[in-house]
Amino acid sequence: MDLDLARDMPRAGFNFDNCKRNATLLSGGFKPPKTTKTGTTIAGIIFKDGVILGADTRATEGPIVSDKNCAKIHYLASNIYCCGAGTAADTEMTTDLISSQLELHRLNTERQVPVVCANVMLKQMLFRYQGHISAALVLGGVDKYGSHIYCIHPHGSADKLPYATMGSGSLAAMSVFERRWKPDLSEEEGKLLVRDAIAAGVFNDLGSGSNIDLCVIRKDSTEYLRNYELANKKGERQLNYDFKSGSTVVLNKTIKDLDITINIRPVPMET
Amino acid sequence: MALAEICKISNASYMRPTAWATDDVNELKSYASNFENPYTLAAPPFANPVENLNKIQANADKTGIKIEFDHGTTTLGFKFKGGVILAVDSRATGGQYIGSQSMKKIVEINDFLLGTLAGGAADCVYWDRVLSKECRLHELRNKERISVAAASKIMANIAHEYKGMGLSMGMMLAGYDKRGPGLYYVDSEGSRTAGNLFSVGSGSIFAYGVLDSGYDYNLEDEAAQELGRRAIYHATHRDAYSGGIIRVYHMTKNGFKVISNEDCEMLHYKYQAEKAAQ
Amino acid sequence: MSFLSIDHFSDYKVHGAQRPDFSPYESNGGSIVAIAGDDFAVIAADTRLSSGYSIHSRTQTKLFQLSPLTVLGSTGCWCDTLSLTSLMRVRMQMYEHTHLRTMTTDAVAQMLSITMYNRRFFPYYVSNILAGIDKNGKGVVFSYDPIGHCENAKCRAGGTAGPLLQPVLDNQIQLKNMNLDEKDKPILTKERAVSVASDTFISAAERDIYTGDFVEIKIITKDGIESMTINLRKD
Repeated sequence: MDLDLARDMPRAGFNFDNCKRNATLLSGGFKPPKTTKTGTTIAGIIFKDGVILGADTRATEGPIVSDKNCAKIHYLASNIYCCGAGTAADTEMTTDLISSQLELHRLNTERQVPVVCANVMLKQMLFRYQGHISAALVLGGVDKYGSHIYCIHPHGSADKLPYATMGSGSLAAMSVFERRWKPDLSEEEGKLLVRDAIAAGVFNDLGSGSNIDLCVIRKDSTEYLRNYELANKKGERQLNYDFKSGSTVVLNKTIKDLDITINIRPVPMET
Repeated sequence: MALAEICKISNASYMRPTAWATDDVNELKSYASNFENPYTLAAPPFANPVENLNKIQANADKTGIKIEFDHGTTTLGFKFKGGVILAVDSRATGGQYIGSQSMKKIVEINDFLLGTLAGGAADCVYWDRVLSKECRLHELRNKERISVAAASKIMANIAHEYKGMGLSMGMMLAGYDKRGPGLYYVDSEGSRTAGNLFSVGSGSIFAYGVLDSGYDYNLEDEAAQELGRRAIYHATHRDAYSGGIIRVYHMTKNGFKVISNEDCEMLHYKYQAEKAAQ
Repeated sequence: MSFLSIDHFSDYKVHGAQRPDFSPYESNGGSIVAIAGDDFAVIAADTRLSSGYSIHSRTQTKLFQLSPLTVLGSTGCWCDTLSLTSLMRVRMQMYEHTHLRTMTTDAVAQMLSITMYNRRFFPYYVSNILAGIDKNGKGVVFSYDPIGHCENAKCRAGGTAGPLLQPVLDNQIQLKNMNLDEKDKPILTKERAVSVASDTFISAAERDIYTGDFVEIKIITKDGIESMTINLRKD
């Protein structure tokens, strides 16, 4: 990479150039801008023919909702999906990065990547950064060894479980699983169970809200059910708040003529 | 009593027949101790209130709880041959948030005494109210109006009494008494200064700039009023914590007059138009 | 060569006895909106009581009817709200027994200010808005800072979504930044005030996590107080 051309190219991985400066700013009392957190309820279970992942769709910045319908179930491979809680950017970039590596791995090995591989890659990456990447993940997928759910914590530890929850609404969701999960649930039962678990988080945890996303992964097919249920409808306003034109005072006007040239190019119709 | 014991009625306060028959009424009064005597504010349940209240505030990052008091901002006052001019803005800010754009920062204590407020709004308003009571009592006792000097002394004494407790006030008292026009600056540190020209608040540096360049003891009434208005306008223009309505009061030997209450936005366009016309 | 010492492993350091900071306050969320009209006042508050990320109650009213013409809306630290409002109730009752008449809204406003200032050095952590009919039969709204600075206003929003709601009220009720002809200006009727109040809450519930469940609206006129409840988001 000693080529002149490549000299200005950014190096791969994280950039730590501003760390020292930022530490100095912080010690001087500077308040850093808030990152978008996905307060979040995420969950995953194993059912008879595969796994079901679920997530709410609220993203928050402190007490303010910054996204009412964000997607928290991320694609890793055609047979593996991953729900993310924590800092929105961290979960998204981590899953994106691992997704690319899984695809390269698949091309190298010429076979479907097992779920455990995704688990190892994710937890090794998170451990390397010692919890500074704040991503709490529920990983789920189906491979030739069966159905798997992994629960990965930001510091890099992981559990292999039949059912898992994460995020600020994890207790609400887990209470539903502890009560009703059993081995060999049917797909319909499983979907209802995950839906109820996420709904428990949506309604009882202020960090979670809006809609419910599901993702069903079976042995040979995957179904991403975005906005499976619109759990909350916005109230209907009573008045019309359109502004009459002229409501804003015009202080001054400048009119500039634009030179517009029109080119008409006949394109034959596709038949 | 035997019956009471059989029925297991104890002497606990909640078992007594009526709360009113006991000392509870005095306890109740202590919750609003300043109703009867405005100088007796409730003592905080911890020592050293300035430091300890600040500690609670310093935890705000963790708890998300920060008590933001309304704060007042640019005020000015000056003496000239026609009396005293007071001019103020009307913005109240709690931290970064504009709590109000229509606050009254000139308190009419009586017809011959005005107070301006800067710093903690509640502090200034509460103690101005106490002061107006004291002034009225003085009038009734001595059959003459209180002098500005005496009134400001009462205020300074109050401030001194509570020094170190965390009050935040920077007020001017303007009035007209037998010695002529009077203008005093009193603050929560306990200082009290008589003077011809003051400006108080975060926008004061801008107001002083305009005042010092235009001030003359022999100004005519209208020119003096305009000087005060202009000084506050320039402060609202440059200081984010000042704004809203610009109020101008004039204290003469016949009592105070309200000269104008104008929106600083309107004034801005008016002054801009005047500047363009020149 | 520098050696690694225990200082490099902060997680393994033994801290010894530590005194945690005393934190007497808690934020229990909730918002209030009040609008004063010519002969009425409207005050609205959501009914969610929360702490951190959990909901304590979905049906806790934050509006306290102090007299047939006065309603106090109070949010912030709920325990402070309770002690302040019960103190207000008792003092108003004492006033009634002493003076043989009910306190006017203006008198309540002044008393609330002084009651709050009494705790100047350990303030009530509350956001108060008082709405009612004054002695001239006009609608009035008073808003307070935590240590009792009181201001008469036409419309006011307070609580966790206060900074979100206030600009909407300024624009829709006070018609700030609206360049309208006199004939186009909407008249502030009771119905319009109620609609604007409930609409602002619908929007606030969308973006403020501490505001939701229901909004309780009280319409105060000289003939009495009318109450209504509207649904909000529950998440």
